[in-house]
Amino acid sequence: MRLGLARRSLSMFPPILTRAYSVQPISRTSISPPPASLKPQTPLFLRPPTHSATISDLLKWQKWAKTLASSVGSHFTHLDDGPDTTLLHRELNWLLQDALENPKLPLSHVGTNEVVKLRAEMEDLYVLWKQRIEERRPFQYVVGCEHWRDLVLSVEEGVLIPRPETELIVDLVGGLVKENEELREGLWADLGTGSGALAIGIARILGPFGSVIATDLSPVAVAVASYNVQRYNLQDKIEIKLGSWFEPLKNVKGQFVGLVSNPPYIPSNHIRGLQAEVAKHEPRLALDGGSNGMDDLLHLCHGASSMLKRGGFFAFETNGEKQCKFLVDYMQKECDGSFCDVDIVSDFAGNKRFVTGFSGP
Amino acid sequence: MSSSLCMSQSLLRSFLIIIRRNCSGIVVSSSNPSSNYYYDHPFHPRSFVIYQRRNQGDGICRRITAASFSGYNTTAASINCNSTSTSNGNSGDGDDGPRTSGGGGREFLIMSDEKLLSQCEMDFFRVRGPGGQHRNKRESAVRLKHLPTGISGQASEDRSQHKNRASALARLRTKLALKVRNTVNLDAYSPPQELLQILPKKSTIRGSDIGSQIGPNNPKFSLGMQALIDLIFAVEGSIADAAKKLGLSTGALSRLILSDDSLRMVVNEYRESKGMKPLK
Ligand SMILES: C[S@@+](CC[C@H](N)C(=O)[O-])C[C@H]1O[C@@H](n2cnc3c(N)ncnc32)[C@H](O)[C@@H]1O
Repeated sequence: MRLGLARRSLSMFPPILTRAYSVQPISRTSISPPPASLKPQTPLFLRPPTHSATISDLLKWQKWAKTLASSVGSHFTHLDDGPDTTLLHRELNWLLQDALENPKLPLSHVGTNEVVKLRAEMEDLYVLWKQRIEERRPFQYVVGCEHWRDLVLSVEEGVLIPRPETELIVDLVGGLVKENEELREGLWADLGTGSGALAIGIARILGPFGSVIATDLSPVAVAVASYNVQRYNLQDKIEIKLGSWFEPLKNVKGQFVGLVSNPPYIPSNHIRGLQAEVAKHEPRLALDGGSNGMDDLLHLCHGASSMLKRGGFFAFETNGEKQCKFLVDYMQKECDGSFCDVDIVSDFAGNKRFVTGFSGP
Repeated sequence: MSSSLCMSQSLLRSFLIIIRRNCSGIVVSSSNPSSNYYYDHPFHPRSFVIYQRRNQGDGICRRITAASFSGYNTTAASINCNSTSTSNGNSGDGDDGPRTSGGGGREFLIMSDEKLLSQCEMDFFRVRGPGGQHRNKRESAVRLKHLPTGISGQASEDRSQHKNRASALARLRTKLALKVRNTVNLDAYSPPQELLQILPKKSTIRGSDIGSQIGPNNPKFSLGMQALIDLIFAVEGSIADAAKKLGLSTGALSRLILSDDSLRMVVNEYRESKGMKPLK
């Protein structure tokens, strides 16, 4: 009968799938007004533990979920480089961690008739895991958060799940600001901020006078980023603006000491072939970089030099070696000496991933 | 990059070269490592050979030197690793004799995280393909291999690669403490500060200026633990002799050793190799 419940449609489970819990009021000062209807969802691990279940029910769910994950084998991996059983089993543990009021409790040590507090209804847990496996809904949307660097960022449909590769940009900025007061205490931009990951990562390593303006064209991203900024209590350091690339920054042209961006860079016709978690669930606006994936990168390249102070730093994430080389070449040939020390930086897996440099000769 | 960074890199480089020349100088003892506390450790780290390098082309994991992660392009560790020869560290070579060296072991432990990382090679498991926006996979397992000794620390239990890296580094520190021995001059022995800090207050040589006792959860514990194991090896496993040097009763020192699982295991394994009874 559990399975029967689980088969119900998503819309029947408002507590976890809709925006039932209101979040702290969205910052008054830091946002160009977001559409009032957009209230970010509260990630599972922050929801109140108002539900309960017996250990035996929980174990029953766990067993069912494990079996479902086991049935996947390496099917998804062969299909589209999706998750395999091992990874899904790990995700299952994380889901349980987020759902339990007391995640440290070793379930095996508790009597099966005992009751534990949960942050979601038992039935929702069935639905959520089915969504994970059968619809390939990304795990991070299922639990409403992603662990990124030392942060736990809220994410939901409509916002790109931040990638581990992107973490390196914060390290790069960290290395620079440590040694340079002007960079540490200056104004930074994060263009296309999504969940706010880069803006928050950077704001936390700047000095007391340093600050960040983050922009995004997506109202959902703006709402979620603002929520994350609030959660880390950075509303005085980060301003989030709705709009396209440099457009919301007209009045601060030439004042930035640093500019970072992870713009959409996947070539349009590749998107269909991506793993289902990405292709079917993540926002196209966050991924699609035009026919060769370079539309937004080139646009950013053009604007960067007029936004940055002389000596200001920039870092762009790209699709890999080809785009890196193209961009470096382009900057050297077409941008008329507006950049210097242009460099390609590899990510942790050894893929050429970032183009960095400074403005001005 | 800044001059201070360059300087620290060249210092590091010369440091590594010295160690390399002095290969037999640092010795990694082979205590039993135990999957108990490295519960996720996939291979058996029994005896380690200095400067081991494993084959790179296993296809499922990519490695880079950890320091380039922090944005440094050339690192001492990568220079070091390109010029060292290959030897196999995974087949137990059965050499269980405790060997000791001057310097080395302690030096690794007093290094900052950043510096220790720069001597490590980092493995990420199953990271391949285009990455970035293309994929959604939480494969955040990290293994750090400390190139000068071949000792590794690994973590995969967390969702965040960042946290796994920190846990892997903490585990690496513990393993370095457990496995790399320093020489002890018994005749003129006086316990180093870090060892005094982990002793209980009743030690008669501790002195009141040492502060409160540091326990196993404190990151500084491993340094004191290393010095303690050095001493126990130097006195050939005799807890009574070691206790005398530390101004403690034999019982009090046993209790200290038993308070930490990994410490207890190393000491007991060593005692057993000497035909002594394990502490209980
Ligand atoms: C690949 S995502 C990166 C998100 C986030 N910075 C990260 O690294 O996780 C690209 C972001 O750019 C935003 N974007 C797309 N077109 C844009 C535009 N014209 N102006 C501003 N942002 C845009 C998308 O909404 C998305 O949030």
